[in-house]
This record gives sequence, structure tokens and C-alpha cells, in this order.
Amino acid sequence: MNRKIALTLLLTASATSAIAGPIEEQIRFRQSAYSFAAWNVAKIKSQVVDHPETFNKDAVAAAANAIAAVANSGLGALYGEGTDKGVGWKQTRLKPEFFQKKAEVTVAANTFNEAANELAKVAATGDVNAIKVQFGKVGESCKGCHDLTRIKE
Amino acid sequence: MKVTIHIWDLPLRLFHWLLAVAVAAAYITAKIGGSLIDWHGRIGIFILGLLVFRILWGFVGSTHARFLTFFPTLPRLVAYLRGRWQGIGHNPLGALSVFALLAVLAAQVGTGLFANDDIAFVGPLFNFVDKSVSDRLTGLHNTIFDLLVAFIVLHVVAIVFYRWVKKTNLVVPMLTGKKQVPKALAGSITVSPARGFGAIGLILSLIISCTVVWGVTGGIAYLHPAESYQQTAQADPGF
Repeated sequence: MNRKIALTLLLTASATSAIAGPIEEQIRFRQSAYSFAAWNVAKIKSQVVDHPETFNKDAVAAAANAIAAVANSGLGALYGEGTDKGVGWKQTRLKPEFFQKKAEVTVAANTFNEAANELAKVAATGDVNAIKVQFGKVGESCKGCHDLTRIKE
Repeated sequence: MKVTIHIWDLPLRLFHWLLAVAVAAAYITAKIGGSLIDWHGRIGIFILGLLVFRILWGFVGSTHARFLTFFPTLPRLVAYLRGRWQGIGHNPLGALSVFALLAVLAAQVGTGLFANDDIAFVGPLFNFVDKSVSDRLTGLHNTIFDLLVAFIVLHVVAIVFYRWVKKTNLVVPMLTGKKQVPKALAGSITVSPARGFGAIGLILSLIISCTVVWGVTGGIAYLHPAESYQQTAQADPGF
């Protein structure tokens, strides 16, 4: 009897951790990915928009490549079923409707990927004005996805 | 017999229409996002300047711009609701709406100064608070926006109501500054033409408004620099 209870407890515990672990990991990884992207976005903003006199071609190109790398890393894999609830570094703000809007989400995500890849290309040229324009498009693509999938603060 | 009297002074009318245009522009630029979010920020700071000016104008402006002239005290409200209030300028109920709109706009601008959009925009005072505080203020900025829309709708509905039900046109006086009142009423204490704004009050109001705008856009950061992670790209890390 005691062994049965122990076995049940063990199985329950492992089953819970098998679900909770990956979900919270997915949330944590994606939060980290966007934080890292945000740092690089902030650097470009600073050197291209706010203080163009500090523009450094290599730094901006590196930042743009980092954003593109995040975009191309297959982030979709971090949006598994059930990841609309859970705590990564903090509570996720993914809308539950996310899972019913897969088609729209895919379009929005691809818009971001394309915009980020284009930004990396433009950044390599060092043309500040062209970078500024494309940077705005990346921002729009971020917003497109946020409006669709993220619960407002 | 009706006579035309002057009620809204020019600075007040400019304030009103600039505010209306600025709020609409702030909404549109926020909705579109992208590079326009920077314009949203600039427009917000402009609205801050307008609000500071309006508050000062509530003390040094002409008669019907002054808060004391139209402050919605309980006796005034009761008199108005019983149909016994006589006057021009903001009626006591309208005055409540004026103060509510000013308060909501001030809260909206105040939270916006510290807000961030989690993309590429931060308000001018973002670096003075923690990101988590900024996030909460951004949430408030979203909530207060709904409240603002409610008050604007009320404002417009009231104007339409006065136009069609009470047969009073409120828009034209806000454009021309002039209002037609029955001759019998003109000259009584509550129905007096606007007077009393001077050049010194106007100049001081403008100077203070501009100083506040300068303060949030660069002054505070200049006097008290805050750490910003956005500057991290400028140092060569070496690895």
C-alpha cells in the first residue's frame, strides 16, 4: 500500500515536472530571446535615430545581425501548447487566442523575419538613412505581432 | 435683441484646437507605430506644454478662462441642474468636464513620460525609473487612454446635444471667441465679456511652459544624468 502511494507520488511528481519544466523553459527562452533583441534594437535606435553623430557602422551591423539571428532561430518552437500560462523570468503575456490564430501569427512572424533580414542587409551597407527607414519597418513588424499575440500591460 | 460679446480669448482658443489636433495625432501615430512612435513621443511632450500653459492660463487668462470663474462648486451645480444658473463661458456641468479632461490628459502625459513600448521607444524620463515601474506606467497609459476616449466622446456628445436640443452652438464661439447673448442678460456680473489678460501673464505662461518642456526633454537628464543601456554600443567592449 505504502509502495503504491509512493509510486503514485513519484509518477505524479515526474509528470508534473515533465510538463512544467518545458513550458516554463520555453517561456524563459523566448523572453530571453526578445530581451537580447531589445538590447540590439536599442543600440541601433541610439546610433541611427537619436544620436546619428555616434553612428558606428560595425556596431550597427553587428546589432542588426543579432536581431536577424534571433528572428531566424525558429522562435515558433518556443510557443508550444499551454505556454500562454506560466512564469519564465516573469509571467508570460501570451494571449490564449494565440493558438487559434496560428495562420495570422505565422504571417506576422514572417513579416518580422523578412524585415529583420532586410535590416541586416541594409546595415551592411552603412547607409544611415536607409537603415533608419528599414529599422522603422522592423519596429512596425514587432508591433504587428505584439498587437496580435500579447496581452497589454 | 441679442448682443455679441467676447468670451474666449485667442490663447485659450489656440490651446483648445491645438490640443484637439495633437491628441488626434498622438492617437494615430501610436496606432501606426514604427518610426512614427517617435512622433507620438514628441506630440506627447507638446501636449505637456499645452497643459502647463492651460493651468497657468487658468490663473492669468481672461475672465472665462480662469478656474475661479467657472469652478463647479456645489451651489453652482445645484443651481444649474435646477435651471437657475445664468452665465456664459463654461457652465458648471461643462466645467466638471473641463477639469476631468485636464486631469485625465495630465495623467496620460505623466505616465507617458516614463513609458516604453517594448520595441524601440522609451519616454523621455524612462531612465529615471526601473523597467518594471515603466511597464506598470505603460499599462496605466493604456488604461487611461480608454478613460480619455470616454471623456472625449462625452465632450462631443454634449456639444451635439447643445446644438440640437438646447439650440446653442458651442463650436462657433470656440472658433471666433464671440458669443451672442440676450441683451437683457449682457452686463450682469456673470455675463460679462472676457477681460483681463495681459502681455506679462501671457509671456510668463509661455516661458514656464517651454521651460517644463525643456526640462523633461533634456534639462533633467542634463542636470541629473541617468544610466542608459542604450548607450552600451558606444563603448568598444574589446570582445
